[in-house]
Amino acid sequence: MGIRLLIGACAVILSLAAQGAAPGVSVQESRLIDRAVPDIPLQLADGRSVQISELWRDRPLLVTFFYRRCSGVCIPFLEWVRNATREAGGIGGDYRVLALSFDDADTASDVAAQAAALGLRDSPHWFFAVANREALARITGALDFWHRYDPARRQYEHNALIVGIEDGRVMRALVASGVEGGRMRELVWELRGSFIPFYAVPGQTALSCFTFDAVSGETRLDWGMLLLMLPALLALAAAVGIFALGSRRNRGGMKTIAPGGAWITSHR
Amino acid sequence: MRPANSYTLYWMGVTFLLFPILILLGIYMRTVQAGGLAGTVTWFYPMMTLHGVGMVGVWYVAAMACAADILGRYTEPSPAVRGLALGGTLVGVLLLLACVFLGKFAGGWYFLYPLPFKGEWPAWSAVAFLLSLTVLGATWLVWTLDLLRAIAKKYTLTQALGWHYLAGRDEPAIPPSIMIITVSLIAGVAALAAGVIVLVLFYQELFTGAASDALMVKNLTFFFGHTLVNLAMYLGVAAAYEVLPQYAGRPWKANKIVAISWNTVLLIVLFAYFHHLYMDFVQPGTLQYIGQIASYASAIPAAVVTIFGALLLVYRARMRWNLASLLFFLGLIGWAVGGMGAVIDSTISANVRLHNTLWVPAHFHTYMLAGLVFLVFAYFYHCSQEAAAEPERAGRQKLVSVLMVAGAYGFFLMFYLSGAYSVPRRFATYPAELAHGGAFSAIAAVFATVFLVGFLLYLAETGSRWYKAMQTAS
Ligand code: HEM
Ligand SMILES: [Cu+2]
Repeated sequence: MGIRLLIGACAVILSLAAQGAAPGVSVQESRLIDRAVPDIPLQLADGRSVQISELWRDRPLLVTFFYRRCSGVCIPFLEWVRNATREAGGIGGDYRVLALSFDDADTASDVAAQAAALGLRDSPHWFFAVANREALARITGALDFWHRYDPARRQYEHNALIVGIEDGRVMRALVASGVEGGRMRELVWELRGSFIPFYAVPGQTALSCFTFDAVSGETRLDWGMLLLMLPALLALAAAVGIFALGSRRNRGGMKTIAPGGAWITSHR
Repeated sequence: MRPANSYTLYWMGVTFLLFPILILLGIYMRTVQAGGLAGTVTWFYPMMTLHGVGMVGVWYVAAMACAADILGRYTEPSPAVRGLALGGTLVGVLLLLACVFLGKFAGGWYFLYPLPFKGEWPAWSAVAFLLSLTVLGATWLVWTLDLLRAIAKKYTLTQALGWHYLAGRDEPAIPPSIMIITVSLIAGVAALAAGVIVLVLFYQELFTGAASDALMVKNLTFFFGHTLVNLAMYLGVAAAYEVLPQYAGRPWKANKIVAISWNTVLLIVLFAYFHHLYMDFVQPGTLQYIGQIASYASAIPAAVVTIFGALLLVYRARMRWNLASLLFFLGLIGWAVGGMGAVIDSTISANVRLHNTLWVPAHFHTYMLAGLVFLVFAYFYHCSQEAAAEPERAGRQKLVSVLMVAGAYGFFLMFYLSGAYSVPRRFATYPAELAHGGAFSAIAAVFATVFLVGFLLYLAETGSRWYKAMQTAS
């Protein structure tokens, strides 16, 4: 009886909470965590040649991929990244951004033009760069960045990817299909040195343990954690209830052994 | 002469039957880990699962049986529920045997979500495992509630928890065993309720495909598993409070300190399990700190007060030493030693090194085998000897204790050493880098066999008395 009630109560709570479930982090993203990123040579928009490791040497680096002739998502996506980093703050002091063309036909002047179009040519914290074919193959391979050239449309089919890198390893990644403002802010919080817990969940889950408020930067307990209080409350209720019932029946008239004296009666 | 309760005797029978089988599984595991019986290695994890669930279950019910027996001295637990507890436990055990032996289910004793759904075993065996836990959990919940009801028949809640001692009054005198049992049973309701919620979540996924948050399920699972094991230990300690005075010839009374320590347990014990999630980097940091503090607070005061009280009880008393009093004393020592290992492991800075190494089985085997098992064995021997009143031979009883102590501690030592040398737990065979793990296992298998021999001698001592007690049981 008690158990059936309990199960009923749980089912109600579960179905209520299921409606508020948040989208999960993709497995693809969590697989990238802690991957080593190859140290490839880059040519920057101003013509300088550098190793990518020079960009992450003293602070984290946010890397995103694009190509100049994209007629699809690349340019709006770069704008979105630019706006998101402006909103979230910390750029320069806490991290830098690298927009790397994954089309080896792009030249330094192509990406310089792109930087200018976005109003970022004079930003000291943004780097636009190109790399040779072999270097591109290494870094896109290491980061599972998927792209394929379609000769008919003369366009690349590709994902959008943002990767936070610290000391040469991936600290966090966002695959664009799941990118929304909150998750981008989480990434920036990480770049700025806070630890924001998250983990991949297969499919939708009914209750989660905590939520991260990307605006305030706080992690808050969610209903899943509150469910952990339920057993304790049930135990409290059971104890109080049982003893309340017990006190209505006549107490003490049962066995004659005085409490605390049992040892005497059975001690020889 | 004091006739024994027949249910208590049945539980003794169940324990004596299952324990040696589960010990053999333990010896089997250490043999495989030492490189022996290589052809059977696919059975390692099913047997590890059976050994783990089986041991936890057996010693939980054995401790509950002791508690019920103690309560029977003061009040009246329902005979019908006692029968239900026995029957339900047997059904649960049968289901467990089926899923492990026929289905090779190997999710480990705490069946961490989502592993039961992901293993190489057939789906039905995972379902049988969940059903087994459901039957056991439901039965034990009813049993727990009935024992609380029995206490409530005689005492108010505040009396049973000894709150009048906190207020400075000594009347009415409450046996410390009642206080400890009340605390443990209330915590037990919470643990079993957490278990029910975990099972509901599993069934939900089974029937609707809706996945659960793995972190939440892990929290609930350890709420259930850790708390249950923890309070089984406390029930054993209650038996020591109840019986040891008979051998010392003076009472072991409750007082303010005793009341404070066990009410602290009640307040805190439900939060200690967080120490199982130290390595879960996504667990909010605050809970990790709560876990460390609660681990200390739920173990140290109660243990210190109990050990100190036991020493005072025995100090300069005309102590009658026999197998019961000896094992009670050894059991309290085992609790303290294992507790020390546990406190080390629940310290975050140490856990970073020790998590999921053999240090973990080391400490819990210490307070289970050399703690709870000894306490329950003491109580079992005590009950059957009181009913049978046979002459006792001191030499043989000492031999039993020496063999069990030597076997057990030698076996633990190998676990501790392996843990300190970074040998992970739950490896069926060790790779070349961990070859020392294999050597420790071989030595441990020998010590475990010594323990088994000691146990068989104990069985001979207690078994004959148990048989005689059966004839006069009430
Ligand atoms: C002489 C007696 C015993 C022997 C030889 C023994 C041996 C073992 C061994 C070899 C393991 C596997 C360790 C690993 O590599 O991870 C193990 C695990 C375990 N044992 Fe025992 N054990 C004994 C008694 C007990 C007792 C009394 C309990 C009581 C609660 C117990 C509960 C467990 C549990 C819960 C596990 C963990 C299973 C898992 O990881 O899922 N054992 N034991
Ligand atoms: Cu594009």
